[in-house]
Amino acid sequence: MQTRNRIRVEEGRAYWAMVLPAFLIYLLVMAFPIVLSIVLSVSNYDGGKMFGGDAWGFAGLRSYARVFTDPHFWNALKNNAYIVMISVFGQLPLGFVFAYIIYRKLVKWPGFWQGVLYVPNIISVIVVGLLWQTIFSPNGPIAEVMNSMARAGFQSKLELLFTAHGGFTITDDLVQNILNLAGPAASEWFTNPLPELKELILSYEGAPHAELLGDLCNLFVPKWSPEFLTKPNLAMLPILFVILWMYTGMYLILFLANMQKIDVQIIEAARIDGASEWQVMRFIILPSLSGTIVNSAILAISGSLSSFSLIFAMTGGGPSRVTEILSIYMFNNAFLGRPNLPLANAISLIMVAVSFLLIGLTKAVEKRYGGKED
Amino acid sequence: MKRTIMATIMIAVAVAGGFAQEKVTLNVMNYQQADQSGYAEDVAIWEKFQKDNPAITLNIEILFNDPYHQKLQAYAAAGTLPDVFYVWPGARSAVIHEKKLAKDLNQLLGASYLKDFSAAATNPANQLGRYMAMLPQSYTYTSVMYVNTKLLADNGFKPPKTYADLKKMVPKLKAKGIAVAMLPNKDAWPMQSCLFSTVVGRMAGDAFIDSILAGKAKFTDKPFVASLQVIADLYKDGIFSREDVQVGYGEAAGMFASGKAAIYIDGDWRVGAYITDKASGKALIAPAAQDKDFALMPFVSIPGEKNPGVLSAVAGTGWAVSGSLATGSAKEKAAVKLIQYLYSPEVQAIRFGTGAFVPTRKGVKAAVEPLVAKVPLFYAENAKTSYVVDGVLDPAVYNVINDGLIAIGLGTKTPAVVAAETQKAFESWTASRK
Repeated sequence: MQTRNRIRVEEGRAYWAMVLPAFLIYLLVMAFPIVLSIVLSVSNYDGGKMFGGDAWGFAGLRSYARVFTDPHFWNALKNNAYIVMISVFGQLPLGFVFAYIIYRKLVKWPGFWQGVLYVPNIISVIVVGLLWQTIFSPNGPIAEVMNSMARAGFQSKLELLFTAHGGFTITDDLVQNILNLAGPAASEWFTNPLPELKELILSYEGAPHAELLGDLCNLFVPKWSPEFLTKPNLAMLPILFVILWMYTGMYLILFLANMQKIDVQIIEAARIDGASEWQVMRFIILPSLSGTIVNSAILAISGSLSSFSLIFAMTGGGPSRVTEILSIYMFNNAFLGRPNLPLANAISLIMVAVSFLLIGLTKAVEKRYGGKED
Repeated sequence: MKRTIMATIMIAVAVAGGFAQEKVTLNVMNYQQADQSGYAEDVAIWEKFQKDNPAITLNIEILFNDPYHQKLQAYAAAGTLPDVFYVWPGARSAVIHEKKLAKDLNQLLGASYLKDFSAAATNPANQLGRYMAMLPQSYTYTSVMYVNTKLLADNGFKPPKTYADLKKMVPKLKAKGIAVAMLPNKDAWPMQSCLFSTVVGRMAGDAFIDSILAGKAKFTDKPFVASLQVIADLYKDGIFSREDVQVGYGEAAGMFASGKAAIYIDGDWRVGAYITDKASGKALIAPAAQDKDFALMPFVSIPGEKNPGVLSAVAGTGWAVSGSLATGSAKEKAAVKLIQYLYSPEVQAIRFGTGAFVPTRKGVKAAVEPLVAKVPLFYAENAKTSYVVDGVLDPAVYNVINDGLIAIGLGTKTPAVVAAETQKAFESWTASRK
């Protein structure tokens, strides 16, 4: 009996000796920050030394109320919803389709395509962000192409106008037609558009016509800039495109790895029985991968809600906060200007709540419609 | 024998320890941009201190722009501020001032040391916390028009003096593919700091801002809305290009130097970007051209302005010592030594020479390039100054103005809407202070 007791005590000691360090580390690096975050979100801490500085106390749900009444929060939440949607309904289906095509060898060089689609994943997020920022910049390659096209179009219209007015004879009628072609915004640059433009054009007397045409294009062709980046409803489009481009390859690999676990004989039997590729995918592959799909969806949702670096590098949430997402909204409140850590922590906890809600929803959908994966 | 050897070693160690200076490690946060002229000189400044003071080990962390401020605030929250760090005198370093996280340099450096600095630099009223948390190295004009006079002359224009002069340039310069004026605003603060503050100073004046802070006026009042309207007009009239809203602060200096714009608007500190980089021997604008082809001018007169010629200016940035250093400790002494070195005539002369700023330390002389030499003259010719918006308003308010100025630049918000949003942010901030 005594021996048994001694063994139990020793087992208990051994148990705690092995578990306690990990448990303490867990408390320190996981539980403590979570509890601190909750505490801060309902506090009136207003900067400075957090422990040992000015005293701070309970402020109730003031920060949460402020978050919910801030239009920037709703804009950030909407942008996050777009990212979740492009991840769940864009990356996952595309990743699945690409994985299926490669798995069933429906294209030549499947290994090559697998590599090409996965490459964006192994590039640093900051590099990707800066790369696409440059591409979409007002001085970037897209702008160059768009500007050349716009100039070419405007110049050909100008040439037609000059031809219609008998060449380079400058008349009021011709100048007015140039102004009409340029549109109303251009007239605002002149105090008296017609005489001033006429005087400007006349100053080119003796100069090559190409120079005049080129300069009129400079003057009147609006420079292309990614203005859609500034429109609240369109600003997220390039970001969503980059997110789709960057992460689809990761889901491809996940799906492909799991497809390779499916017994090939089942697929072959189905094909012998006359099943089409679509039916194979619909009735064999998809149900077999329902668990993988759910896990991928959870990964996509949590990744989408916590995404930060790509958008921070691409737009920083700008211009004028139209591409701000929850994590950047939180970051700005925590670090931009005067730190408001209660507000920032309230935002982070709301992000966690939204994440749980969406993951719960995904699990419910899987339970209702998913197949069994052995 | 063994005992004798051991005893000898112990005595030697004890004697060596007794005579050796106490080793101190100072954690420093430096604000530095590695791709700008003056970088090599800055590195040399730190290396010299390290070489001359072997008993002090400098552990230097270097950041620039917003990441610097963000990390400093994170350190402040964690209670792990570096021993010596770089701060702004106003709201940009609000926490440092309000929570008194830096030592009072008035006490630490003493009156006999500070008498060698200008009165504006040593006046605690010029700092947010109303005590000397830092010592401004300069008194900075945040709004300067850098004018490419040659480019203007080549196109038949004289340097502009009025808004109408600017507007008149638009058709001809645009036709040549040249922007009349450039102010990159992707980073949100440049428009507010480098132009809007001056416009508010001209259209409304400091007294109006004081009235707002006292609750006797509103951002939705006519003078403030009119100030925002000036910015809106600058874009609408084609003086600024709307693409500038998407141009980063670091990109624009090179664009101006290469003739893409006739005028560039920035703070006086930006002269440093154009002069010769000692490391590479290259300059964005060659010294000869700096002398004859470029001018520093005040922003043009604006229709309806109440305070003509006023320019936004503020006590400049400087160094602070962490309040957590024990009084009289070896670390505090080392920090004071470092601060005194950084503000020494030698170091300030190097800084002046790189165009970083015109020092507040009296009598500093340096061989400077023509553009830098124009800065003190600019100060002398433009004595009337006004507030810098982010120096007097809380970040919760001026960040809304910054975003609003971007929206105005993009044409997505009207001045009235931005004014209303600013007022709302101000009221919300005021309520949170109660």
